[in-house]
Amino acid sequence: MPATSLNAVGLSLNDCIKCNICTSYCPVSQVTDSFPGPKYAAPQSERFRDFGHPFYADDAGPISRTLAAGRMPDASVDFCSGCRVCNEVCPTGVRIAEINARARARIAAARGLSLRNRLLGRNELLARVGSIAPGLANFLLHNPLSRRLADALFGVAEKAPLPRWHNETLNRWLSRTRAQRLRSQQKVVYFHGCATQYYEPFVGIAAILVLEHLGYEVIVPPQNCCGLPMLSNGEFSAAEGYHRRNVARLIEFVNAGYPIIGTSTSCTLTLKEEAPELLDLENDADVRALKLATWDIFEWLRDRLDQGRLPSDLRPLHQSDRPFILPYHAPCQLRAHRIGKPALDLLARIPGLDLRESHARCCGIAGTYGYKTEKYQIAMDVGAELFDYVAAQSAASDREAAGSLSFTACDSETCRWQLEHGTGIPSRHPIELLAAACGLYDLQARRPADAN
Amino acid sequence: MAGVLDLLVIGAGLTGLFAAYTAARAGLRVRVVARGAGSTHWHAGTIDLLGYLPNGQDAVANWAQALPELPPAHPYRLLGVDAIAQALDQFQRLVAAAGLPYVRAGGGMAFTASSPPEDRNLQENDPAEQFDDPRLGQNGALISPVGAARPVYLAPAAQQAGNLEDDRPLLIAGLDGMPDFYPALIAENLQRQGRLARSASLPLDQLTERRDRSPLHLARLLDRPAAQALLTEMVVNAAAPGERVGLPAVLGLNDHARLLEKIDRALAARDPDTAQTPDRRGACAAVFEIPTLPPSLPGLRLDTALRARLDRLGVRVEIGMEVCGFHATGRRIHWIETETGSRPLRHTARNYLLATGGILGGGIHGDRCGHVKETVFDLPLTAPQTRAQWLRPLFLDKRGHPVFRAGVSVDHRFLPLDRSGAPVYDNLWAAGAVLAHTDPIRERSREGIAISTGCAAANAVVRGQQL
Ligand code: SF4
Ligand code: SF4
Ligand code: SF4
Repeated sequence: MPATSLNAVGLSLNDCIKCNICTSYCPVSQVTDSFPGPKYAAPQSERFRDFGHPFYADDAGPISRTLAAGRMPDASVDFCSGCRVCNEVCPTGVRIAEINARARARIAAARGLSLRNRLLGRNELLARVGSIAPGLANFLLHNPLSRRLADALFGVAEKAPLPRWHNETLNRWLSRTRAQRLRSQQKVVYFHGCATQYYEPFVGIAAILVLEHLGYEVIVPPQNCCGLPMLSNGEFSAAEGYHRRNVARLIEFVNAGYPIIGTSTSCTLTLKEEAPELLDLENDADVRALKLATWDIFEWLRDRLDQGRLPSDLRPLHQSDRPFILPYHAPCQLRAHRIGKPALDLLARIPGLDLRESHARCCGIAGTYGYKTEKYQIAMDVGAELFDYVAAQSAASDREAAGSLSFTACDSETCRWQLEHGTGIPSRHPIELLAAACGLYDLQARRPADAN
Repeated sequence: MAGVLDLLVIGAGLTGLFAAYTAARAGLRVRVVARGAGSTHWHAGTIDLLGYLPNGQDAVANWAQALPELPPAHPYRLLGVDAIAQALDQFQRLVAAAGLPYVRAGGGMAFTASSPPEDRNLQENDPAEQFDDPRLGQNGALISPVGAARPVYLAPAAQQAGNLEDDRPLLIAGLDGMPDFYPALIAENLQRQGRLARSASLPLDQLTERRDRSPLHLARLLDRPAAQALLTEMVVNAAAPGERVGLPAVLGLNDHARLLEKIDRALAARDPDTAQTPDRRGACAAVFEIPTLPPSLPGLRLDTALRARLDRLGVRVEIGMEVCGFHATGRRIHWIETETGSRPLRHTARNYLLATGGILGGGIHGDRCGHVKETVFDLPLTAPQTRAQWLRPLFLDKRGHPVFRAGVSVDHRFLPLDRSGAPVYDNLWAAGAVLAHTDPIRERSREGIAISTGCAAANAVVRGQQL
């Protein structure tokens, strides 16, 4: 049984000043009565779960105990989506979402995990199996009957926006195009994550094309799921295994001084912070080195931009002279990096692009949250703020009888699926837009520009 | 990234947001970073200028006249009445343009901004009106969450009818089962002050099944027309003719003005004879909000209005960013760094404004050993450096506690000073509760200090940029 110690996460509850700002902003607590809100679920309750007791904070240093020990968290904490909006607004730095994640882990350790949550946590395994025969897998997963069965038997929401397997994984594309890949003295490592590998290889392709365009050789070493789905479902020991394997595979590149760049904001956040912190691995030297070497792709590009090392050959995204309106949603997974909104800084350089920043708190899906039958409606209600915002942008553009809304943009894959599900408008990763503006990528067909 | 920022504001409370607004309106490129949402969220939403003098027992009747009695180093003394009035004037224009009008407490006014949105820019640039007003500086008295008289200068329309200079009888109506609001206690305290007041409790279960009712949940609920109709009916049934009704400040997040208006009209329609006669300013309402424990809706509405205005000026407000370091050579700050999930993030600007707040806001930290520190730049502080001197024995001591007066000393341009009285940096400014020689909690001067010093520091930055 895994142990966790009282570290910065648990101790941070002592800084709570009971201002209730987190409760004011929690998007889940706003739409459902099942969740009392961050202040009640985290700093207030954790104090009574032994771990957070101020008594433990003093002299003797961190106390380790098995997850199941201590008092059992209230089941309502399962309704926290982990979106971290609360962390962002808390004026005193309480690690509310992490306290909740640990509470869920304690419940999972004591009571076991449902088959559904176990499955959702292993989306990489599912994805790999499906990619053997993508057509068949898509049929099996997406036909109405199996969706209804999955809902009834496992509690996977019938209407939730499940992804489709792509007919070619990123790895297969890489080996097929090996001869065309750039070799260079300047190298970066690309972390694709499961969704890019199996469902959206074109996002990885766009990233690789842009990085090569800038003169970097892109190394794509073997890697596995970052483990986040398990972390958010409270399966800490399995998540630790995943993370340690990734560290073992990436550490030689980290030690060689190469940046580890990702397009999936949740994967990069897990490598940077979630896994080290939740799993108490912060003192492991390799884990720490990987944490410090990991970048969101736009965070890294913005850093080049600040150093004046980005070419400025961007062209408009379309030929007509109508403005191209693009609503952009910074996903909470990205905001949790606390790096601002670097994609906005880069996309703002595309000529003729009318970029509109959404201030919606969350799209609702929160990783695997919105896929659960009992949470599907909550996720849609949470997302309404964002869907309404997008709708308002297209209404405005109609009035001007000028540009129309052909895409939205968002850095996180599950959010894009949810955005498409909620708005009916296709959504793109900002790197796809940047690749298209470099003339490397077909935004509509989602493939390299020169492909036939 | 079109060029470097002219001003990076650290802190997203009233001070930081209003300073950012002032500088951005003057044409500067501005950004705000903050560790969390501003402390606007837990304040009453009124603009208190000066309620009590240090060591004074009685409430200040007119802050403009009381200014000379403040210690010479007090931020208000650095500014003078005119600069403060000018800043308040700017503030009033801003919030009026955002549809959340503020006037002097007891001034009376309609619940909604009367001007259509197209006129709002115009309004924001109108010439000042406040200066020739003979009542400049006159505090009003509103009802505190426990029923005490609270000296207030500017108040939002929603709180105006709670003015205690008005002698209409009061009905304090709570919501049965809403924690954190105590109508009976408020009414009892008002009676002790010799006012005609009683309390009532409206059944909340008709509105919601929910048990943990935070003010915000109730407010969102009351944005819905059906809930508004229900509450209106309950209030009309509870109120006696001629009474004005005080309700907890939960009457809506986006739509509170409409609900207040509905209730007001329903009360007037029921008792046409005793219906309130409009005063010279327009309306004299029969219903008002009393601030609650946090989260405070009036504060939240103010924050929303300011943020919306900044958004339109192209000012990004990034919260969730905690400063963890900075780099300076000589008297110049080159960049600051904020903490991230991985390596620190660098922010570069020509000027930096420290608006991180005092001990409560997190701009000043006191540790267990009695050290008091300014949290971002470790600036010199005026503070009692032994823990024994921090606090007086009585929690509610009228003189306040010495540690809350701890802060950064500044010159008349709002540049922080070192012990010798010279500016610590040439491009660092400070404003708001982080300043020394004021105890905003005890003085009831929080928002006045925030607005006037935020505005002054931003103006000083603007002047420096123009040189
Ligand atoms: S992580 Fe999101 S859902 Fe969970 S408590 Fe925080 S704000 Fe609410
Ligand atoms: S926002 Fe932070 S300090 Fe305020 S109640 Fe929530 S956890 Fe506590
Ligand atoms: S799926 Fe997206 S916006 Fe939504 S919860 Fe994730 S990160 Fe937040």
